[in-house]
Amino acid sequence: MTAVSSTLPTPRFTTVVAHNWKLAIAVAVVVSAVSMAGLPAAVSFWVVGATAALVAAAFTVNAYRRHYFGALLVAPAIAVLFVMNIFPLLWSLGLSFFAYQANQQTIRFVGLGNYVRILTNDLAAHATWGALINTAMFVVFTVSAQMIVGFLLAILFAKQFPLRKYLLILVLTPMMLSVVASGVFFTYYYDPTFGILSYVINSISGNQFILMSNKVGAVAGIVFADAWMWSPFVMLLVLAGLVSVPKYLYEAAAIDRISSWRQFWMITFPYIRGLLMLALLFRTIEAFKLADLVILLTKGGNDTLTISYHLIRIANEQNKTSEGAAISYLMLFMVIVLTNLYLYLANRRTQGA
Amino acid sequence: MTQTSPRASAGKGIALRLDGLSKAYGSVRAINDLSFAVDEGRFFVLFGPSSVGKTTTLRTIAGLVRADSGTLEIGGRDMTHAPIGGRGISMVFQSFALYPHLTVYDNLAYPLREEKAAHAEIDKRVKETAEILKLTHRLKAKPATLSGGEQQRVALGRSLIRRPKILLLDEPLTNLDAKLRHETRAELKRLHRQFGMTVIYATPDELEALSMGEVIAVMRDGGIVQIGTPDELYEQPIHTYVASKIGSPHMNLFTASVRADTRSFDTPLGTLVPAAAPKTADAGEAALIGIRPSDIRLAAKGEAGVASKVHLVEPLGDITIVSVVAGGEMLRMVLPEAIAASIRTGDSASIAIDNRKIHVFRAASGQAMT
Repeated sequence: MTAVSSTLPTPRFTTVVAHNWKLAIAVAVVVSAVSMAGLPAAVSFWVVGATAALVAAAFTVNAYRRHYFGALLVAPAIAVLFVMNIFPLLWSLGLSFFAYQANQQTIRFVGLGNYVRILTNDLAAHATWGALINTAMFVVFTVSAQMIVGFLLAILFAKQFPLRKYLLILVLTPMMLSVVASGVFFTYYYDPTFGILSYVINSISGNQFILMSNKVGAVAGIVFADAWMWSPFVMLLVLAGLVSVPKYLYEAAAIDRISSWRQFWMITFPYIRGLLMLALLFRTIEAFKLADLVILLTKGGNDTLTISYHLIRIANEQNKTSEGAAISYLMLFMVIVLTNLYLYLANRRTQGA
Repeated sequence: MTQTSPRASAGKGIALRLDGLSKAYGSVRAINDLSFAVDEGRFFVLFGPSSVGKTTTLRTIAGLVRADSGTLEIGGRDMTHAPIGGRGISMVFQSFALYPHLTVYDNLAYPLREEKAAHAEIDKRVKETAEILKLTHRLKAKPATLSGGEQQRVALGRSLIRRPKILLLDEPLTNLDAKLRHETRAELKRLHRQFGMTVIYATPDELEALSMGEVIAVMRDGGIVQIGTPDELYEQPIHTYVASKIGSPHMNLFTASVRADTRSFDTPLGTLVPAAAPKTADAGEAALIGIRPSDIRLAAKGEAGVASKVHLVEPLGDITIVSVVAGGEMLRMVLPEAIAASIRTGDSASIAIDNRKIHVFRAASGQAMT
């Protein structure tokens, strides 16, 4: 590789060739600066875009001529990652320090004003804290339900029994359905007039039953639907751990007369601990972002507004773009703290054991 | 042992008896009508190549496998359907099956903890066992950090710590390197003498079987061909299968037919007359003659020998294996190095066969002709 690439000499800085990327960067910086200073924003936007394309082209030609094919193959993915993830991430971080609404032309620097507002302002902070508390509640309930049900399902499916293969496919189906589809199923199940749940309870008690008529029922309905959808995910991870335990360990334990309870803690659990942690991590992050089911089932009614749904309302429906950005960063911060806490605890246990 | 078993007064009893035990996996018969008994305190070897049913036999004795038919007696009691834990049996697996997430100490201690032994007692036993198996310095290590030999000793220790009446060993040396195997063989014999329990030892290795087994059962196709002491198997194999498995280099076998006098045989090497003539031979019957390589020598000067041509000379230090072709048959003989030193490939040699050491088998069944 080096032998091939060294055949192309590095051009002098001022030489105009397609692979002189240093020159391309210099030109791009100068042209962008000039156009931003001298041209109207609508024009300079396109000029800056064009110079960025010029730099990208210079890099590409350089890589191609030097036979950096690995880099060339990875480049599209990196470009998409940058455009779709990193750039919006930084852009929204910047936006959270401005007063800006997507439907208005004005923009004004306010520093930490947005953050102060969403955390301390009488009206805004009340909504934020309420949504955060609801989110925490949903995280605790949905994640514990998923972990428990998923774990028990995994224990069940780790054994061999008739029709296991087909039942496994059935059990995995909810995970593969679109959230909207299962959300719609559950609105039908919970419907007060013709939903099967109300129908059954009506026919037993004789009273009209509306699940979503109070907070407890609404939360229970959302938690049940979420657990139904995502328990199979936990099951899949735990199952992978369970089947990786060598059978002879259980045989040795049986001969050593070790009880099944101790066998579980001594043999099985160490094999699934890492995967349980992973499932917990994934599900917690996902549950923290819960919005879809809430929108479909309660539309935030009966005090079931989560922070994600609150964010959608602020940023998309009320067009408070920069306030929304601030809430997003608050969420991101919390998820990062939570995730690192988990990882810290997990690593400490692994080292301690 | 403070309690006296009812058999103690009657001397050594039967530790284990299998009667007509069979087990099939689908259409494959892993063990087939297996019957044998093992005296208390014996070092009993199940010997045979892989997939011959040794492991299934051990697993059936341990209770990990339920036999399809037949009975299993342990210490004089029917244990065919007894739970695994109640059999007083311990087993060392070929893979060692150490608990990977526990330290050596805990691996050894767990079987005792389950018996609700006192903490101090457990500690004492673990340290004792570690001492015997030279593991004291490794008690805090995890199995993955141990060498193969150490893992093996932990597996042994875990089995011995409960003082089982019967210890099952499933090819315990297969996963060790050659030098370690030799050491561990001696170690196992020492432990057997020290603890005095009955050992059932499965191995495909002839050397292990002969060097350790007090009684050896030669297995074939899920059944037993012959049970005997190493000497019996070597001197009086009752089947060509045993003859060809026991003894190294393997026994020379060639076809022959019984002559009209039913006492001597027409062979490619000429007429052979075994010193102990078989009584059940029929004139003209096809037979297989077996002669151990160590029972063939060079004929002395003036002695009538069989003419042969040297095909291959393999010096092995103090002995040399010489392959000769006589009467169209390839024969191997073991000669002392001093005698074999002058022999070259292509030489003519006159060989003599010790007629007291001729084994005769029926060509049709492979059974010994007696």
